[in-house]
Amino acid sequence: MRVILDTELCEANGQCEIMAPDLFRVQADNTVKYEANPDEDRRTEVEDAVEACPTRAIRIKS
Amino acid sequence: MATRSAPEEVPHFDLSNPEFSALADEVHAARDKAWFARSNYGVVALRHEQVGALLRDRRLRHGLYSWPELNGVTEGPLHHWWINNLNSQEGDDHRRYRRLLNPLFAPKSIERMAPGFQALTHELIDRFAPTGRCEFVSEFCEEFSARILLQLVGVGESSWRELQRMCGEFGISMGVNIAKELPRIEAALAELYEFTDELIAARRADPGEDAITGLVKTCDSGELTGDELRNMIVMLVFGGLDTTKNQMGIALDVFMRHPDQWDLLAERPELGGRAVEEVLRIEPTVLWISREALEDVEIEGLAIPQGTTVHLLTESASTDPLVGGDVPFDITAEHHPRHLAFGGGPHHCVGHYLARTDMREALPILAKRLRNPRADGPAEFRPWTGLGGPLSLPIAFDPGDAEGRA
Ligand code: HEM
Repeated sequence: MRVILDTELCEANGQCEIMAPDLFRVQADNTVKYEANPDEDRRTEVEDAVEACPTRAIRIKS
Repeated sequence: MATRSAPEEVPHFDLSNPEFSALADEVHAARDKAWFARSNYGVVALRHEQVGALLRDRRLRHGLYSWPELNGVTEGPLHHWWINNLNSQEGDDHRRYRRLLNPLFAPKSIERMAPGFQALTHELIDRFAPTGRCEFVSEFCEEFSARILLQLVGVGESSWRELQRMCGEFGISMGVNIAKELPRIEAALAELYEFTDELIAARRADPGEDAITGLVKTCDSGELTGDELRNMIVMLVFGGLDTTKNQMGIALDVFMRHPDQWDLLAERPELGGRAVEEVLRIEPTVLWISREALEDVEIEGLAIPQGTTVHLLTESASTDPLVGGDVPFDITAEHHPRHLAFGGGPHHCVGHYLARTDMREALPILAKRLRNPRADGPAEFRPWTGLGGPLSLPIAFDPGDAEGRA
């Protein structure tokens, strides 16, 4: 699956990291490093991150 | 970027003075000088950048954590609730709770509640509309906020008055009378637990597809204890009630000062979402958020020793000129970065999407049906410290129909 993070919207609150710590990580410079092509079996966690993001910056492309 | 002032130049605020206002010009003047000020309760952060950074900083814990202990409440039911509630948790424990709560606040499930928010708004307005006047806090905000939370947890809305009363009494724990009023606070907590236990029992007897049933199942599978579940539900109800009530009251008050924007909202209900953001930017009910340094921290040259309390002023940060926040109230505008009325970082308001959605639905309906709202007697406000908002807001208006026609 493909994950897209809108860096314009992202405010580095880190809720994605709370939901899926090994797929998303807030960096010291307030950008988020993330796994853009996680395995299909991680879908639930990615969906959790999508829902938890306060700025709705994360999308699942496919 | 921030200028480092010598200590004698740094403004000092008395946060416990009931005359102090977190919205005052002196706060904004201090913000122009430096990113922080000092107070009788530690450092006060004033600018968006540093407030945001402090909210995200894991070297600080939630400032309310130590509140009961500082006041001599070191054991018993209130203490137990407090140190186990969501905002007292950090790290893995916090993470576990937030993950379990995620389905309850998932945007798609909150969106399904939107028609109910509209119906509730109309129902409440129907009662007083023909008279052309109301006391907006008691006739709208209180019932609106309580019934929305009851809708969220899926129990009968007729108990809304009880819920308001219990939360009101329990809320004394947030103030300086925590020790003196402990018996009353703990009696309210016992009632809230009873309310929670009934709700859980009802779900167990008649499980649904909803998120509360989901939490009860999680509990039955051993991932969450019964004690944690009731604690969590009390936190949600308590955390959502006064905030929603106050923010709705503030919204009407703000719009009464901006009648052209109220008219615009009535004409263009699709601006409801942005209207909510603008109200939150210029007049958030949660006026400050506190943190406590778990270790010695240095922020832009300012040493914050371990144990120091830091107060983060939300309105000051959200209207910071350095992020373009010093602009007039305008419901067509969008701001980046956004306001900090819901906090930020790990403790970012878990109920933000609910709060945003219920206000987004309610405000345009109010704008259509309460035309030309104006003061109808003196309003009373809480002090603009901690949690702000009107205590009473008597208004007169010209009744409009659902299309906004007077
Ligand atoms: C306009 C309405 C609201 C405002 C302005 C607001 C504001 C806030 C703020 C500023 C925080 C962060 C506190 C901190 O970091 O110390 C917060 C946290 C929280 N809010 Fe809200 N809130 C609102 C509505 C709600 C609702 C409707 C609920 C629940 C149904 C809720 C439940 C909570 C909870 C449980 C937390 C703690 C989160 C954590 O510690 O992880 N809030 N809220």
